[in-house]
Amino acid sequence: MLKWLLGVWMTATIVMAFVYAPEMIRPNYATGEDEAWPSFRIVFFHVPAAWISVLGFAVSMVASVAVLRRRTRRRDDLAMASAQLGFLFCALALISGMIWARNDWGAFWNWDPRQTSVMILLLIYAGYFALRSSIDEPDRRARLAAVFSIVAFVTVPFLVFVVPRIMFSLHPSPIIEAGPEKGSMDAKMRVVFYMALAGFTALYVWLLRLRMHLEASTRVLRAS
Amino acid sequence: MNDLYVVLITVVVIWLGVFVYLVSLDRKVSRLSRGGKRDAS
Repeated sequence: MLKWLLGVWMTATIVMAFVYAPEMIRPNYATGEDEAWPSFRIVFFHVPAAWISVLGFAVSMVASVAVLRRRTRRRDDLAMASAQLGFLFCALALISGMIWARNDWGAFWNWDPRQTSVMILLLIYAGYFALRSSIDEPDRRARLAAVFSIVAFVTVPFLVFVVPRIMFSLHPSPIIEAGPEKGSMDAKMRVVFYMALAGFTALYVWLLRLRMHLEASTRVLRAS
Repeated sequence: MNDLYVVLITVVVIWLGVFVYLVSLDRKVSRLSRGGKRDAS
């Protein structure tokens, strides 16, 4: 029942992002006039995807700490499944950002600090999956992967929040806060934005549950 | 304006495709785990 509700919620969010949310207007400093910013609508999908990637990596780190305290299959499954979802949503955030960059900056890839730091983050977590797939013994795999996940998460705040702020970046500055100045979200946009955040979070919870059930079922089938 | 609706329809179709796939996967996994529990007991 809840999954059908999620399906309706996300469909409504997508439609509202295009129909209900008004067009963003921003100042054009070259001409001195205001201009429409249609590519802005990608923010309703790009930012929630980035949020879920940080959430996924954080949950993986917490589950990894739990694995080191007491090793159970369920905790290891949670750490792996959450890291996988973090990786998936991080890739979606990067791809949606590239589509936006093509429209606003003129090229898909610009070596912008934000793009580069997220790419480095993806490579770090690709190392996590490579490590997991290289060890057959489950106990050793769980222990080493847990250590890797904890160390990998230390880089997340630095790569996601610090690097883009200490280096010059073309990435738009925060636009969620309400404000009278042009280039900030108005009330209608924030409604859609928070609906997207809630929808993406529910989608993450569903996918996490699904992935863990799949892992447990695969193990049962292999054992039988 | 028309471009916006083309993007909207594309995004909705992609989302519905992903959603239907996930629902069918969820059903299969539920069936599998029910079967696994029955075998184990």
